Amino acid sequence: MSMKSRFKSLVPYGVILVVLLFLPPIIPRFYTYIFTSIFVTALLAMSLNMVVGHGGLFQFHHAAFYGVGAYTFGLILTKTSLPIWVGFIAGPVVAAIVGLLIGWFCVRLTRLYFGMLQISLGSLIWAIAFRWYSLTGGDDGLHGVPIPDFISSSTSAYYFILILLTICLVIMYAILRSPFGMTLQAIRDNPERCEAVGINVRRHQLLGIVIATFFAGVAGVLFVVLEHSVFPDLLFWVLSLEIFIMCLLGGWFTFAGPILGAAITVSLRTFVGIYTEYWTLILGIILILLIFFLPEGVMGFITEKFSGRAKKVYEEG
Amino acid sequence: MGKRRQTFSVALLVTFLTIGLVLPLQAEARNIKVGIIDCYSGPAAVFGNDALNGFKLALEEINKEGVLGSKIEFTTRDTKFKVDIGLNMAKELVMRENVDVLAGSINSGVALAVSDAVAKKEKVPFIVWISKSEKITGEKGHRYVFSTADNTAMGGKAGAVGLAKKPYLKYWIAGDDYSYGHDIGNAVWRNLKALKPEVEKIGESWWKVGEPDLVPYFTSIIGAKPDAVIFCTGGASMANCLKAIKSTGMNEKMGTWIHTAIDHAVLKPLGAEAPEGVLGEIQYLFYYPDTPENKAFVKAFEAAYGNPPGFPAFDAYLAAHYIAEAFRKAGAIDREKFVDALEGLKVKSPVGGMVEMRACDHQAMFPMYFGVTKKTPQYDFVTASDIKTLTGEEILPTCEEIAEARKK
Amino acid sequence: MLPDLSALGSQFLVGLSRAMILFIVTSGLSFVLGVLRVPNVAHGSLYMIGAFSAFSISKLLGGGSLGFWLALILSPFVVALVSLVSERLLFCHLYQREHLMLLLFTFALMLILGDLVKLTWGAEYRSIMAPDFFKGSVSVFGWSIPRYNLFLLILGPLVAIALWLFTNKTKIGKIARAAAVDMEMVGAVGINVSWVFAFAFVLGCFLAGLGGALVAPTVSVTLGMDHDIIIEAFLIVTIGGLGNMWGAMVGSLIFGLTQSFGVLFWPQFAIVFPYTAVVIVLLWRPRGMLKSVW
Repeated sequence: MSMKSRFKSLVPYGVILVVLLFLPPIIPRFYTYIFTSIFVTALLAMSLNMVVGHGGLFQFHHAAFYGVGAYTFGLILTKTSLPIWVGFIAGPVVAAIVGLLIGWFCVRLTRLYFGMLQISLGSLIWAIAFRWYSLTGGDDGLHGVPIPDFISSSTSAYYFILILLTICLVIMYAILRSPFGMTLQAIRDNPERCEAVGINVRRHQLLGIVIATFFAGVAGVLFVVLEHSVFPDLLFWVLSLEIFIMCLLGGWFTFAGPILGAAITVSLRTFVGIYTEYWTLILGIILILLIFFLPEGVMGFITEKFSGRAKKVYEEG
Repeated sequence: MGKRRQTFSVALLVTFLTIGLVLPLQAEARNIKVGIIDCYSGPAAVFGNDALNGFKLALEEINKEGVLGSKIEFTTRDTKFKVDIGLNMAKELVMRENVDVLAGSINSGVALAVSDAVAKKEKVPFIVWISKSEKITGEKGHRYVFSTADNTAMGGKAGAVGLAKKPYLKYWIAGDDYSYGHDIGNAVWRNLKALKPEVEKIGESWWKVGEPDLVPYFTSIIGAKPDAVIFCTGGASMANCLKAIKSTGMNEKMGTWIHTAIDHAVLKPLGAEAPEGVLGEIQYLFYYPDTPENKAFVKAFEAAYGNPPGFPAFDAYLAAHYIAEAFRKAGAIDREKFVDALEGLKVKSPVGGMVEMRACDHQAMFPMYFGVTKKTPQYDFVTASDIKTLTGEEILPTCEEIAEARKK
Repeated sequence: MLPDLSALGSQFLVGLSRAMILFIVTSGLSFVLGVLRVPNVAHGSLYMIGAFSAFSISKLLGGGSLGFWLALILSPFVVALVSLVSERLLFCHLYQREHLMLLLFTFALMLILGDLVKLTWGAEYRSIMAPDFFKGSVSVFGWSIPRYNLFLLILGPLVAIALWLFTNKTKIGKIARAAAVDMEMVGAVGINVSWVFAFAFVLGCFLAGLGGALVAPTVSVTLGMDHDIIIEAFLIVTIGGLGNMWGAMVGSLIFGLTQSFGVLFWPQFAIVFPYTAVVIVLLWRPRGMLKSVW
C-alpha cells in the first residue's frame, strides 16, 4: 500500500479524533460519561476481534481476561500501597499471563473445543472471584477504588481514556499490518496450508491470544479508572457473548467495526434501558435481525454498499 | 477505508446520541424528582416490585398534601441485578434526569457501588432499601447515604437475641456462598457467642447461591447431629432451603433459624407445604402487629396491588415519607439542607409509632419481629407465631461501633 | 471429621440422583451438539420453561397427584413445541451458515426466551409440590434417601436406556446419529437433512424441558434458572465428550458425585470440588472423557 493511500485511509480517523477531543466542553456531563464508557468497551471489543475476526479463534470467554485486568488493578490499589503506575502495568500483564496459560491449553484444540474449554476455565476464574470474599469482596465487589484526582473527574477520565484508546488502536493497527498480523489472518483463512508452508500455527495463535488478552487487560484497568469499582460481572460469560455481538454488529472483518459495534450497543443499552425493562428481549431481537440480514455487520454492510471503487483502492493500495 | 464509510459511521453514532439528547426531558415545573434504581428482572424482581408499590402508595398520600407546593415524582431504572448497569443507570439519573434524590436497590453490590461512585462523588442523597449489607451504613457509610433497610448487623443481633433464649448449644452454620450469606452468618454468630459464650460451632457448609439441590448438604448436616442449624440465605435460595428442610424433615429433628424465614413473599408460594418450627425475624409482617394503622396500610395496598405488602414495601414506604418530611423540614429543594434535615428525623411507621433516622449512621431504627413458622387455619400458607418484638435500640449496632468500623 | 458409613452412603445416593437430573438435561444438550454441531446456549431457557410449564399445568389441574404427573408428562411437550416453532420459523434458515452464527442465534434465543418467560409468568417465585407419595425418606441398603430422589435415581437410567434404544434401534434415531457423523452423506442418500436437524433440536429441548419439570418440586421456580444451569451443562458436556450421550452420563456423574462428596468432606468449599474435577479432566483429556461424535 502506498504511503499516499495509507495516509488517505487514516484521515477519517483523524477527523473523528479531533471531533472527540473537542466534545467534552460542549456536551452534557452524562454524555461525556457515556462516550468514555464507549471508549472502554470499544477497546475490549477491538481486543476480542484481534483473535476472532482476524485470527479466526473461538474466543468464547474473553471477558475473563478483561475481568482479571480489572481485578488486578483494583486489588493493587485497594489492598496494597503500591503506586498507581504499578497497577497500570500489572493489570494488562497479569491478564496476558492468564491469557497465555489458558491459551496454551486451548490452542491444542480447535474451534468448538477451544471455545468450550475456554468457557470452562474462564468460569472457574469467575467462581473464584465470586467466592473468595475476603480477597475480592465476593459478589459485592470492590468499591471506592482510590483513583487519583487528575483522572477522576468526568472530563479528565474522558481524555485519559481516549488517549490510551488511541495509542492502543495505533499499536493494534500496526500489529495487524505487520508480517505477524498477516500470518494470523492467513492462518484464519487456511490453517493447513500455513502449516504446510512451515508456519508454527499454534505459536502464532498463542501469541495472538496473548496480545489480545493484554489489551483486554488494559480495557479492564480503564474500566476501573472510569467506574472506581470492580465486580464479578466483569468476568461473567454473558459479557463475553455480548462482546462477540459487538464485533458481529460492527463487522468483524473490518478493522474499526468493533468500535462501532461497541458504540451502538452501549448507547442502545443505556437509552433503551430508560424506557423498558425488556432490554434483553430487544437485544435478542436485534441479534436475530443481524444474523439474518446483516451478517457482515454494520460496517461490512456499508463496505458492500459503498465498496466498488473504495474497496479496490484499499486492496490495491 | 473509504471516506464515505467513515462519515456514515460517524453520522450513525452521532444520530444515536442525538436521539438521547432530543428525547424529552422532564417538564420545567419544579417537582421533586426521585430516581429509583432497582431490579425488575430475574428472581429479585419480586422484591423490587414490592418496594416500588410501597413507594407509590406512600406517594399517593404525600402528593395529596404536596411538598413545598409541588409534588414528588419518580422514575425507575432496571439494574437487572448487575452492578455495572446499576452504576450506569444511577449516573444517568443524576447527570441526565437531574434527580434530587436516589433510591433503591435490592443488590448490595449496586448499593455500595452507587453509594460511593455516585452519591458520595456527586453529593446526591441516596436512600437504600432492601439491600442488607451492613457496610452500607457501617464502614462504607457517609454523609449522603441513608438506609431504611434492615442490615445483616441488625438481623444478626436480632437472631442472636432470639436464639440465646433457646436451649441450643451445638450449632451448624450453613448457607449461600456469597457476601450476604457470610455477613449474616458472622453477625449472628458473633452476637450469639457474646450473649451465650457456651455455644459451640461444630461445622459449616456453604453452597452456591441458588443451588437447586440442597439435599446432599442437608443429609450431611443431619448426620452431624447439631442442636440447631443457622441458615444464611435469602430470597429464592431461601425457598429452596425451606423446601429441603421440609423434605429431609430437618425441622422435626433439630432447631432451624433463617433471617427473614417468616417473610411472606417466600412462604406464600410454598403454601401449606412450608416447614413449621423454623425461627426467623423480619421488620414487617402484614398480620402483626394488628394495629389499626397496619390494617389500613394493608387494605390500601391490597386494593391497589392485589396482594399484601412485604418488607420491601415497608422499607420503601418509609423512604418516601422520609423524603417528603425532610424536604418539608428543609424548606427548599436543596440537597445539603435535605441531608441535614433528614438526620434524626422521625416519620410515621405504616404499623403505627414513629421511626427515627439515626443521625450517627443514617440508619432507620425500626423494630424487628422474631417468630416461628406455624400453620394456622386462618390462612392457607404458613405464618409466624409466638412473635416477640425487638426494638430498634436493641438490635442496631451502637454509634461507637459504627464509628470504629468507619475509621478503618 | 470423618463421616460414618451411612452418611457416606446417603451422600452417594443423593449425589447420584442429582447426577440423574443433570444427565437428563445434558443428554439433550449433547444430542443437539452432536447432530447440529452447535452448543445450544438457550438450553437452559428451555429447562426453565419446562419448570414454569410444570408449575402452570399442575396449578391448572388443582395441584395434587394428578396435576403433578400430568405436568411431568405434558411440560416436555410444551417445551418441544416452543423449540419446534423457533426452529422452523428462524433456526432452520441458518443451517447453511457457519457455526458461529448458529451459536449466536441460540444466544439470541436465550435472551428472548428469558424475557418472554418474565412477560408470561411475571417475576414472582413459584413453587410446585411433589405428591404426598414422595414425602419423607426411604432406606436403601441402610442408607437414607428422600423418596423423590429415589424416584429420580430410577428415572435417570430409564431415560438413558430409552434414549439409547431410540437412537440405535429406531430408524429416525439412526439417521440422526448418522447425520452427526456425516451430514453430507445423509443428505446424499436423499434424506432431508433439515428435518433431521429439526428432530434433533426438538428432542434435545424436550429433554431439557423434562429436566426442568423434574427438578421443579425440589427448587423454587424463578427467572434466572436458565443462567444457573447452562454453565454446569456446558462444563459437563465438555468433560464428557462433545456429542456423546454416555459422555453426558459420565460428566453428570463426575459433577454430581464430586459435589455431594465435597459437601461431606469440606462443606465450606464444597463448590470447588466439581470445578476442580472439571479442570483435572480437561487437563488430562482436553477432548473429554469419552470419544466425541466428531
